[in-house]
Amino acid sequence: MKVVLIFDQGLAGAGGKSNPNVGLTAVKGGVGSALMLEPHFEKIGAQVAATLYCGNEYFLHNEEEVVTKMTAMIKKVKPDFVLCGPCFNYPDYSRMAAMISANILQNTEFKSCAMMSVENAETIEAYKDKTPILKMPKKGGTGLNDSFADLCEFMQCTVEGSGELEAVRNRVCY
Amino acid sequence: MMQKLEKILMPIANVLSRNKILIAIRDGFLVTVPITIVGSIFLLIANFPLEGFLNMMTSIFGAGWDAYLGRVSAIAFDCVALLGVLSIGYCYSREKGLENRIGGAVVALVCFLIITPQKTVVELEGAAEAASFSGFQFTFLGTAGMFLAMITAILSVEIYAWAIKKKLIIRLPDGVPPMVMESFASLIPSAIAMTIFFAVGIIFDHTSFEYAHYFIYRVLQAPLVGLGKLSGFEVIYQFLSTLFWFFGINGPAVTNTIFSPIHKVLTVENYEAAQAGLEMTNIFTAGFSDFFCNFGGGGSTLGLVIIMAFLGKSNRMKTLGRLSLPAGIFGINEPLIFGLPIVLNPLMAVPFILTPVVNTIIGYLATVTGIMPITLGVQLPWTCPIVFSGFLVTGSVMGSVVQIVMLIVDVLIYYPFFKLLDKRYLEEESAAGGQEDELDNLSFDDLELD
Repeated sequence: MKVVLIFDQGLAGAGGKSNPNVGLTAVKGGVGSALMLEPHFEKIGAQVAATLYCGNEYFLHNEEEVVTKMTAMIKKVKPDFVLCGPCFNYPDYSRMAAMISANILQNTEFKSCAMMSVENAETIEAYKDKTPILKMPKKGGTGLNDSFADLCEFMQCTVEGSGELEAVRNRVCY
Repeated sequence: MMQKLEKILMPIANVLSRNKILIAIRDGFLVTVPITIVGSIFLLIANFPLEGFLNMMTSIFGAGWDAYLGRVSAIAFDCVALLGVLSIGYCYSREKGLENRIGGAVVALVCFLIITPQKTVVELEGAAEAASFSGFQFTFLGTAGMFLAMITAILSVEIYAWAIKKKLIIRLPDGVPPMVMESFASLIPSAIAMTIFFAVGIIFDHTSFEYAHYFIYRVLQAPLVGLGKLSGFEVIYQFLSTLFWFFGINGPAVTNTIFSPIHKVLTVENYEAAQAGLEMTNIFTAGFSDFFCNFGGGGSTLGLVIIMAFLGKSNRMKTLGRLSLPAGIFGINEPLIFGLPIVLNPLMAVPFILTPVVNTIIGYLATVTGIMPITLGVQLPWTCPIVFSGFLVTGSVMGSVVQIVMLIVDVLIYYPFFKLLDKRYLEEESAAGGQEDELDNLSFDDLELD
């Protein structure tokens, strides 16, 4: 399974609040927090083909450009699945992830989801009908590993078109 | 093994981090931290560890200038239980979902004062009879009353919330201003809580303990704080805090529910000892924990950030190290926790958990052997940079020297693990094996936009 990750600068390992204006960047393979996901991805035979990211403030100043170009890059890479997250409780990143995932699902044939904690209630409410949004703990909360296991189950069911997808979605998504 | 460990730790973390009482106590003490820090600054100025500075102040403001500063530090330290009962009462009201949180906090404060001795007997030299006066003693409002403050805050708000839930309230007709409505609604719940604590006070008057303060101090506070004086106390705290972080759980948020009140008491006890001209004996104060166990955030990652910034060969290491260094100097390592990452990264688990433990042991040995003085009863902002913090929290240059030695040790512990990760990132960046494909030259500049 070929996966593309969409991160903000913090999860990409390009600095946190000290580097909020980093522009749109595409890197082959996984960077930063991809390492956290790797053991879980291995279990379902998923490999990170590329990581796309930008700074949270760059997104806030260029929302339309970020969503359009990220979607165009997905078309170019042609992954089996796009993971927009894990966003924890970062509000800007969560909004960016939900917007990009919704746009990918609406305008391309690729499969995608966002992943964030319940603290992003406004974003979840606004986008949960446009894209699957997976549950996860906030930064420092309990259950991170379990949420990654749920993510992998969801990814596998989605890519394989499993009959269990609806049940899994009801369990792991908002 | 990691999965088994997580299965053990997760329920513990869930219980500790979701328990309303423990959350209220932890957050309540956090509310008092700014007050203690400001008080510490006044205390530090009055007792600055440079003779020349003190002489200069005396020449400008005259003898006794330091006594004025003591008015602020005395409130911050000698009234720590008073501040605690109010803030814990407020936080527990929040956890109980009460609308009138300040009402709950004030009831907690009043209940604490009801069971606090209000009369002081003083033996005067040469006088035939002991004199007595009405008023509260700092003795009962400071560290000696801290655990009683916690218990009183929780129980009084519990009673208050119960009465509100049972609708034991006075309802005023519509049209009455909300503040008046709220005030009257609190009347019966407050009366119930205050009457119960009035009775508790009388019951203790008729026991050998005399006051609830003495009972709680001897039965609960002294044994628990005694644990904080054991040599393994801080090691366990540091070990558990970083172990939780490795699994993505904010370690201190979990461990502080238990350890924070003990750290607070140990710190203020040192302050009180110094004020009384006695020897300070508590090694594991909040200052020791903040400034001699971790540099650059949890896992003492400042050493790692330095080698990433200056010795990293892969772009990822270099970039992240250089971007994280300024924040790292001030004790913040969030970009590293998720960006390197450290969370759920087995390679970094060993140094991340080991380094604070090694620092703690070095700090402990340096203190007991007299290489550096015991930490003072002051509390500085945890963002205070290394070297400055060591000097200010011990009042000695040796505090800074020990910190620098620890930082060098931290670098040595992290180095081999850093090299392994750096090598891996370098291989990924240089597309090892020559497997070049269309993904090697991804760029947002030459995209076709529909």
